[in-house]
Amino acid sequence: MSANVAWRTPATMVGSLFSAFRPRPRFRELGLLVLVSATLLLGSITAGASLAARPVLDAGQIPGGVDLRMLDSRALAAYVAGLLAVHLLFVATGRRTDQVLLPAVGMLGGLGLLLMQRLPQGLVTQSFGDAEFSLGQVQLGWLLLALTIVGVVGTVVRSDAWLRLYKYTWAATGIALLLLVFLFGREVNGVRLVLAIGPVAGQPSEILKVILVVFLAGYLSENRALLIEESTRIGPLRLPPIPYLAPMVAMWAIALGIVVVQRDLGAALLFFAVFLGLLYVATGRRSYVVLGLILFVVGAFVLYELFDHVRTRVDIWLDPFADPQDTGYQIVRALYAFGRGGLLGTGLGAGLPTVGSEPAIPAIHTDFPLAALGEELGLIGLLAVLGLYLVVIERGLRIAAAAADDFRALLAAGLAMVVGVQAFIIAAGNLKLIPLTGITLPFISYGGSSLLANAVIVGLLLALSDRGVEPPPPPRPAGRLRRVVGRVRGGGSGTPAKAAGRRSVR
Amino acid sequence: MDGFIVTIWILRLLFLALLYLFLFAVVRVLLRDLRGASRERAELGRLVVVASPNGEPPLGAVFPLDAIASLGRDVNNTIVVDDPFASGEHAALTFRGRSWYVEDLESTNGTYLNGGQVEGPTPMGYGDELQVGEVKLRLERAR
Repeated sequence: MSANVAWRTPATMVGSLFSAFRPRPRFRELGLLVLVSATLLLGSITAGASLAARPVLDAGQIPGGVDLRMLDSRALAAYVAGLLAVHLLFVATGRRTDQVLLPAVGMLGGLGLLLMQRLPQGLVTQSFGDAEFSLGQVQLGWLLLALTIVGVVGTVVRSDAWLRLYKYTWAATGIALLLLVFLFGREVNGVRLVLAIGPVAGQPSEILKVILVVFLAGYLSENRALLIEESTRIGPLRLPPIPYLAPMVAMWAIALGIVVVQRDLGAALLFFAVFLGLLYVATGRRSYVVLGLILFVVGAFVLYELFDHVRTRVDIWLDPFADPQDTGYQIVRALYAFGRGGLLGTGLGAGLPTVGSEPAIPAIHTDFPLAALGEELGLIGLLAVLGLYLVVIERGLRIAAAAADDFRALLAAGLAMVVGVQAFIIAAGNLKLIPLTGITLPFISYGGSSLLANAVIVGLLLALSDRGVEPPPPPRPAGRLRRVVGRVRGGGSGTPAKAAGRRSVR
Repeated sequence: MDGFIVTIWILRLLFLALLYLFLFAVVRVLLRDLRGASRERAELGRLVVVASPNGEPPLGAVFPLDAIASLGRDVNNTIVVDDPFASGEHAALTFRGRSWYVEDLESTNGTYLNGGQVEGPTPMGYGDELQVGEVKLRLERAR
C-alpha cells in the first residue's frame, strides 16, 4: 500500500496515470507465453500435416513422408504477435497485475483458433467489400479484437468507481438490453438471441452476464453485513430479511423470463448459478443456497410441464438414441466423437469433421467445440483444456481473496464464476451430463460477442489483481438498508465535524 | 512400421506433452503463490488511516487486526488515536465468526460508521469507514 491513500481528485489521477508509466518486466508471463507459442506452433504443424495426408489416406494408401506444413502460418503468427503485444503493453505501463491469466486464456484462445482453422471453412463466411473471410480468418479477427480489449481494460482501468457507484444504472442497462432483444431480436433456430442494429449484430446475453455480476457485487457488498446479521426463520430454513428477498426473487423471475421469452436455457442457468454462487460467497450461508436450489427445482419442474422446448431438451438428454437421426442427432454425434477420440485422440486434423459436405455435429464451431477437441485430442487433451479453465477460475478466486474490499472481492469472484459456470454448463451438456443448452465455450467457441465479453472479463480481472491501484472510493453513508437494524442513528450528513456541541476531551 | 505414422504420432504426442508442460508450469506458479499467501495470512483484516488532521496515527498507516482491537487516546489501546476529539477508550472492533463489528465505548464524541453514529455493536463490512475523533480509518480485507 502506497503512502498516499487519500481519495484522489481527477487531476491527480491523470498525473498518477503518467507517472505510473514505469516499465516493469514480467518474466513469468513472458516465459509462459513462449510455452504457449511453442505449443500452438506444434499443434498447427500436426494439424496441417494430418490434413495434408488425408487424401492419400482416404485413397487407402500410406503417405511416403510427413508433409510438414502449418495450417495457416500467417494467422498463427498474427495471433502470437497479438499476445506478445499485449504482454509488452503490460510491461510498458508497469502495472503489477496477474501474470498467469493472459497465458492461460491465450492458450485456450489459441486452441480455439487451431480448431476453427481446421474445421470446414465454409461454416462461416463474412465479406467486407470485395474481401471474403472464412471461419478461421473471422475467428482470428475476433481474437485480435479481444486481445486489444484485454490490453486496454487491463491497463486503463485503475478505479472501480465507475462500476460500483452506478450499479443500478448498469442493472437498468442490462434490463433494457434484454427488452430490446425481446422486442427486436432476430430468431435463430427458434431461439431469440441475436440483436442486430444495422450491420452490427451481437448476442446481448454475453455482455449481460458481466453487467449482472457488476450489479450483484455492488448490491451484495453494500448489504453484506446486514445479510449476515439478520435472518427470518421459516421452519428449519433461515432466510434473508424479507426486504432483501425482493431482489433475489426478482433475479429468479428474470431468469425464468429469459427461458420463457427468449427460450435461452443456457443463459438462464448461467445467471441463476452465478447469482447463487455470489450470494454464498457474500454471506457464507448455506441455507440461502438451499433455498435457491429449491426455487430452481420448482422452476425447472414448472417449466418442464409448461413449455415444449424445455421438455424436448430434457427428453433428448434422457435418451438421445430414441430419435438418433433427428432430435438426438447432435448429442449422438458428439458422443460418437468423444468415443472415437479415446485416450489420446485421433490427432489434430485427423478427426471426422464432415459427413459428406455437412459437419458431423451441427453447430460444432459454436456449441460443440469440446466434442471436436475430445475427438482429436482425446481424454488427455480434454483434461488439459478443463485444467486451463480451472486455472482461470483459481486466478479469479485468488484475486478475490486478495482484494482490498468487498466490492472488488465479489466482482472478481463473480467474474471467475461466470467463466467457470459457463464452461461447465456447455461441457457437461456436450458430454450428456446435463441437458444440452446452447451457450458458447468461453475463449474457444467461434463468435464475436462471446469472445469480446470474455475479454472484458479477463481485462477486469487483470485490473482488479493490481494491488497498487486507486484505493476504493469512500463508502457512502449507511443507507436505509442498514438502518433497518436500528443500530446506526442518523443519516448521511451527521459527521462529527459538522455536529454541534462537540467537546474536546483533552 | 512406416515413417509417416511414427513421425506424425511423435508430433502429436509432443504437442500433448507441451500442453501439459504449460499446465505444469502454470500450476507451479499457482502453488508457489498459494504457499506464500498461506504463510503470511495471520491477520483478519486491517485498518488503513485515510484522514488524520494531527498526524497521529500518520496518514496511510496500516494496522493489521486481531480478533479484538480497541481504539482510543490511551496508550494501552491496540490502536492509539492521538486526537483531541478522541476519548481514552473510544471504540472497539471485534471479529465474530463471519463479520466485523464496531462498538462505541461510551466515548464523549461518539464513533461514526460511514457518517452515521454507532449506537450498539454494529456489523461492519470491508471498505467501510470508521471515524474516531477526527481520524478516519477504513477497514480492509487482509492481504
